[in-house]
Amino acid sequence: MKVGEKYIVDKKQFLDLLISLKSDYDIIGPKKMADGEVTFDEISSTDEITFDYVNEYEPLKRFLTPTREELFQFSGQTNNFNLTPPKDINPFILFGVRSCDVQGFAHQDGFFSGAYVDNYYWARRNKMVVISMACNVPLDTCFCICCNGGPWLDSGFDLQLTDFGDRFLVDVGTQKGIDILSKITTNKATAKDEDLRQQLMQACDEKMVPVAYLAKAIIQISNNRVKEELWEQFGAECFSCGGCTHVCPLCTCYDVQDTMTDEKNGVRFRFWDSCQYCGFTHEASGHNPRGKTKERVKRRFYHKLSYAYINQDGHPGCVGCGRCITVCEAFGLLDMAAVVKRIRRDGYMEKQTDNAQAQS
Amino acid sequence: MENIYLPQVAVIQDIIDETYDAKTFTLSFEDKAYNEKFSYKSGQFVEASLFGVGEAPFGFSSNPNHKGTFDITVRVVGRVTEAMHRLKVGDTMGIRAPLGNSFPLEESKGFDILIVAGGIGLPPLKSLIEPMLDARDDYGEFTILYGARTPKDRIHTKELEAWSQRKDVTIMQTVDQADDNWDEHVGVVTTLFENVKIDSKTTVAFTCGPPIMIRFVIQDLLTMGFPEDRIISTLERYMKCGVGKCGHCAIGHKYVCVDGPVFSYKQMKRLPEK
Repeated sequence: MKVGEKYIVDKKQFLDLLISLKSDYDIIGPKKMADGEVTFDEISSTDEITFDYVNEYEPLKRFLTPTREELFQFSGQTNNFNLTPPKDINPFILFGVRSCDVQGFAHQDGFFSGAYVDNYYWARRNKMVVISMACNVPLDTCFCICCNGGPWLDSGFDLQLTDFGDRFLVDVGTQKGIDILSKITTNKATAKDEDLRQQLMQACDEKMVPVAYLAKAIIQISNNRVKEELWEQFGAECFSCGGCTHVCPLCTCYDVQDTMTDEKNGVRFRFWDSCQYCGFTHEASGHNPRGKTKERVKRRFYHKLSYAYINQDGHPGCVGCGRCITVCEAFGLLDMAAVVKRIRRDGYMEKQTDNAQAQS
Repeated sequence: MENIYLPQVAVIQDIIDETYDAKTFTLSFEDKAYNEKFSYKSGQFVEASLFGVGEAPFGFSSNPNHKGTFDITVRVVGRVTEAMHRLKVGDTMGIRAPLGNSFPLEESKGFDILIVAGGIGLPPLKSLIEPMLDARDDYGEFTILYGARTPKDRIHTKELEAWSQRKDVTIMQTVDQADDNWDEHVGVVTTLFENVKIDSKTTVAFTCGPPIMIRFVIQDLLTMGFPEDRIISTLERYMKCGVGKCGHCAIGHKYVCVDGPVFSYKQMKRLPEK
C-alpha cells in the first residue's frame, strides 16, 4: 500500500475497524444530537455515527485550538512560584471531517509553525488522524469550489473517503492512513470507481449556489483601491459580533488570561478572540488603532484577501465553507461571498491612485 | 519541543523609583544556568508575567553588554503595571525573553547618531545608547534630545546627568511645562532641532516616544533630508503572545512582536495601516 493509491472498502467493515481502534485512539465523528443538530463528538459505537450531515455549524479547528486551552498552572506566592504545563492528550481520530475543514487544518499547520513553533498546537496536531469525507452534496451556503477547499482534496488528510453507498472509495494520504487501512481487506479502485467519484463530485459542484469570485476583490484590496465609502458602509452594517471569525476554519487569533482557582493556585489559559471586537487592539494607554468598525472589517478582509498574506501563506484566507454566510448577523451583507461580490460590482476605484500601496 | 508560552521565573534584585509613576526593575533568572546563558540585544523586549494578574510586553532598558541582570522600566498604565509597582525586591515575576528584532547597532557604525526620545520612550533607547557609548569610537557625532511633559516626568535622570557630563555627547532636554527649578528648554522635543547641528547625510536617527511625537519627529527629519531607511523607530501595539500567534499586534501582514518592534521609516511607510 502506498500514499496516493486508491482503494475500495466495504463501508460496514471500515466502520467496525474504526470502532475497534477505540483502545488506541479517541474517536471523534459526526453524531446526531437530541435536538437534531449534527455535532462532531466522541463516538463509541457504529450506530452513533450519522451520515445525514453536510457539515457542522462550528468549525472543527476546536480540536486543535480549543476555544479555551490551558497553557500552564501556577501555584505559590509572589516570591516562590511553580509552573506546571498541561499533560499530553490521547491520540485521536477525526472521522468524517469535510474537505473545507481539512484545508483549514493545512492553513493552521503553516500558521503555527515558523520561527516560533506553537508547541500546544502541535501537541494536538501530531496526535490527530484525519479520516475525511468528500462531499457528495453541498449546503446552499457552500462555495469551496471557488477556494480550492473541496468538495474533495488531493492532500491534507490521512485517509479520504468518498461515500459510494455501501462502499467507500479511500484515498491514501499518509503513512498514518496506511497503518489503519492495512488492517482490513481492500481492493484497488478501478477506473470505473474513479469515474463514479468524478460524476459524484461534478454533481456536487453543479449544486453549489453562492459564487465568490475572489480574484477581483484580491486585486482591489491588495492595491488599496476599494472605495472608502464601501468600507464606511460595511462599518455601518457590521455589529462587531465576531461570529465570522469564530466560525472561520482559518482564523487563529486568541487572547490570554489568568484565573485563580483558589488563593494560591491558578491557571493561565488562552481562548478564541476576534479582530472584529473593538477591544482587540485597545491599549492600556487608551489608544486604539482600530477603534472604528470599518477599520476592523477592512482588517479582516485584508488578512483574508491581500497579496501580502497570500504570498506568505500560499493561499487566500478562505476555504469556502460558507459558515460566515450562516452566522453573519448583518443580514448576510458581510460574509465572504457578499463582500467579494460588493467589491466586484461597484466597490473599487477605476484607476490606480497615488496612495496605492506598494507590496513589501 | 520548546514551550514558547512558559515563562522563566525571575527575581527582582533592585527597584529604582524613576518618577512618581515609573519604576525600573533589575531582574535575574532564578535558574542560575539559564541566567548565565541569557543574552539579549538593544531594542528587544520581554513578556513579563504576574501570575494571577497577566502578562505584558516591556522593552529592555539596560545595557546588553552587562551580563547577569537586565532592567525593564515600567510606567503605571493598567492592571498588570499597577500590580508590578506593588512588588518588592526579592519578589518574582515570569519572564519570556528575548523577543522581537533589535536596533541596527552594527549597521550604524561609522555614522553620526541622533537620539530623539519622549517621556517613557527613553528606556528602550537607553538600552541602545549605553552599548554605543561603550564603543564610542565606532560612531561619529553623538546627539541626544529628550523631551518630557514636566521635569518630574523625566526617566533615567541619573543617566541623563552622566551623559551630559561627557564631552563626546551633545545632550539637550526640554519639557512641555516647566516648573520653578527648570532652567533648560521649554517646548516639544522637535523645537530642539534648531539648536543642534545635524548632518542628515551622515546621521542615523533613532526615535521613540508617544505616537504623536514620533510622527512629528519623522516629518522634521524628512524635511532635514534624512533618507527613509536611516530613520529608525519602534512601534507599539496591544500585544499578548509576543511570538506572532495571538494576532493582536498585526499591522497589515507584519506583526510588531516578531517583525518589529524596531522598524525603519521606510518599512513603516509600506504598512497599510498608519
